[in-house]
Amino acid sequence: METGQPTEITEQQRAQLQFQLFQESLPKVSTSVFRMLLNEMVPLSVAVEDKVGENPGGQHETSSKNDLEEAIASNLSLKPCIDPPSHKLIAEYAVADEDKRLRIKARLNSMGLQIGKKLSELLIFSNNPNLNFKDMDLLTVMKFICRDVWRQMFGKQIDNLKTNHRGTFYLFDYDYRPIQCLALDGDVSDLELNMIDPYLEIPCGIIKGVLLSLGFDAKDQVSCEATVVDLPDTKTGELGSFPKGISFNVQVLLQ
Amino acid sequence: MSSGSGNVQNGPAVSTSSKKSLRVFSDDIWKNKTAKINAELFTLTYGSIVSQLCTDFQRDFNKVNDQLFAMGYNIGLRLIEDFLARTALPRCDTLVKTSEVISKCAFKIFLNMTPQVSNWSNNKDVFSLILDENPLSDFVELPMDASKELWYSNILCGVLKGAMEMVQLDCDVWFVSDVLRGDQHSEIRVKLNRILKDEIPAGED
Amino acid sequence: MAIQTVLIINKSGGLVYQRDFLASSTKLSSNDYLILAGTLQGVTAIASQVTPKALQISGSNLSKAANETEYSIPYAGPLGVKDQKEDMGSFLPPDYFTDSFASWSKSGLKHVTTDQFSLFLYQSMTGMKFVAISTQSSTSNMAVSFAENFLRKAYCLYADFVMKNPFYEPEMPIRCELFDKKLTEFVQHL
Repeated sequence: METGQPTEITEQQRAQLQFQLFQESLPKVSTSVFRMLLNEMVPLSVAVEDKVGENPGGQHETSSKNDLEEAIASNLSLKPCIDPPSHKLIAEYAVADEDKRLRIKARLNSMGLQIGKKLSELLIFSNNPNLNFKDMDLLTVMKFICRDVWRQMFGKQIDNLKTNHRGTFYLFDYDYRPIQCLALDGDVSDLELNMIDPYLEIPCGIIKGVLLSLGFDAKDQVSCEATVVDLPDTKTGELGSFPKGISFNVQVLLQ
Repeated sequence: MSSGSGNVQNGPAVSTSSKKSLRVFSDDIWKNKTAKINAELFTLTYGSIVSQLCTDFQRDFNKVNDQLFAMGYNIGLRLIEDFLARTALPRCDTLVKTSEVISKCAFKIFLNMTPQVSNWSNNKDVFSLILDENPLSDFVELPMDASKELWYSNILCGVLKGAMEMVQLDCDVWFVSDVLRGDQHSEIRVKLNRILKDEIPAGED
Repeated sequence: MAIQTVLIINKSGGLVYQRDFLASSTKLSSNDYLILAGTLQGVTAIASQVTPKALQISGSNLSKAANETEYSIPYAGPLGVKDQKEDMGSFLPPDYFTDSFASWSKSGLKHVTTDQFSLFLYQSMTGMKFVAISTQSSTSNMAVSFAENFLRKAYCLYADFVMKNPFYEPEMPIRCELFDKKLTEFVQHL
């Protein structure tokens, strides 16, 4: 530690700066491909559902001879099956029955959960000055999600956090990036809402995963669901094209 | 910035503008013109996808491979426009040039890596991309049951296939080895089947 | 030079996007625009066919340097992009491009002019055609390269805000408010 330097910046600012430098020094990939990967998870989940959803486990009932033949065939052919294009898969979700939708959402949620669990490790081991282990109460963790987790995943912070201080939190994102470019006319139809629905499931999983990994890990202790909300008056018109905000409603049972 | 530049063969520079080599051109795009995120975040996101697929397909890894490929294909169909808009590189008149653009430019500006191009077939229609580093699979260890069947980074093959199809190159793309499986290196094979001449837009020579 | 209209034509000659930026301009009916799109597609193909064979052969055999000067489009400045932050999406400011770039349409139609207006055409390697109609008759090379620079930037917006929209169906009409908005802002800043 050098102490001789003029201390014009506070300790906190210095830590922040160090953290930032550290973050910048890490290996990187292009944001574009990351966003595409993230968005592609939704059609992927639909495609998977089409293949395994109908009779889970049923595939294995077929005789082992068939399996073997299949395996040989797929090893020989260099052209693995190609799924319908992504937009078709998303459209398929929008008209699917309730059960199928739930299964697709559960799949996305589970992927989000895994991301969330590892993401908090990633952020904590980077000496993040925003995270203080000494008094890490639930509110601090939620702030960490709003600020650090969101910035990592979506390049922006949560716009507004509300809580009743008894375990219920509302995280408002008025410009949720993954659906920002959704083509919509002023009014949002039910069908369109159905289409964005699965895109909200990944962050729900992520929020849950982060909380889980930070000690809120009792069974069913954390629940999170997203709803579409109107934008506050101050925000209307100045943002991207999607005319609605998203509210992530988190419920943590305190023990 | 560790781009493993020492490993890359110094092939003949493909001129993109009158002055710059493809390498310099791509470095500039990567360094100065690309919004970036932590590679680790990318790694763990992809990891969660693969692991979910393994669960969903009940560890039938051939199906997982296919699904990753299909996912990549759908990404490639769209990502190519991003690549072309970004680089505006001229059409490659040989597959040799195509391979250089893929390794030195496409991989560089999206994943900040530069695979080596090697193992050309005699008539120059098949080549390999040797991946010295791979942000998809950093810190990944395959479980025992997957280590003979799963091509963990198979999404890359799909992306390449989809992207090349959009610029009228019908190719097969597949992994032949992967360090995750204990192989010496990770190698992607690319075979040009044919050029879709009918689909080349009028106006190109 | 004011941009009156921007059109996007898919690889099979279908009109997928059309937007007027000047209220005063004479409007074509949507059917006329469809015909215009098909016609441009056809003329591009014919233009490419009538290119003298000798020129085509010598063109591909020319030395690299000569090839480049002939088929590259000079950089025409930031076109107002500098003034707006982040508006080019993932194509980072101040200006994503600072260099000349290759033209993908060597023998195709690039420029149509009358005494009243000019039409410019930029084609991507995937076959998408970006068309701008300007209110001035311009025949100078500079105007052409200016227009091609403009259209390449429109292509960038397309790559970002249309192709990355997971809900967009490729080759189909573009209904994307964000793309509209970005393109309008861009045209207004020219």
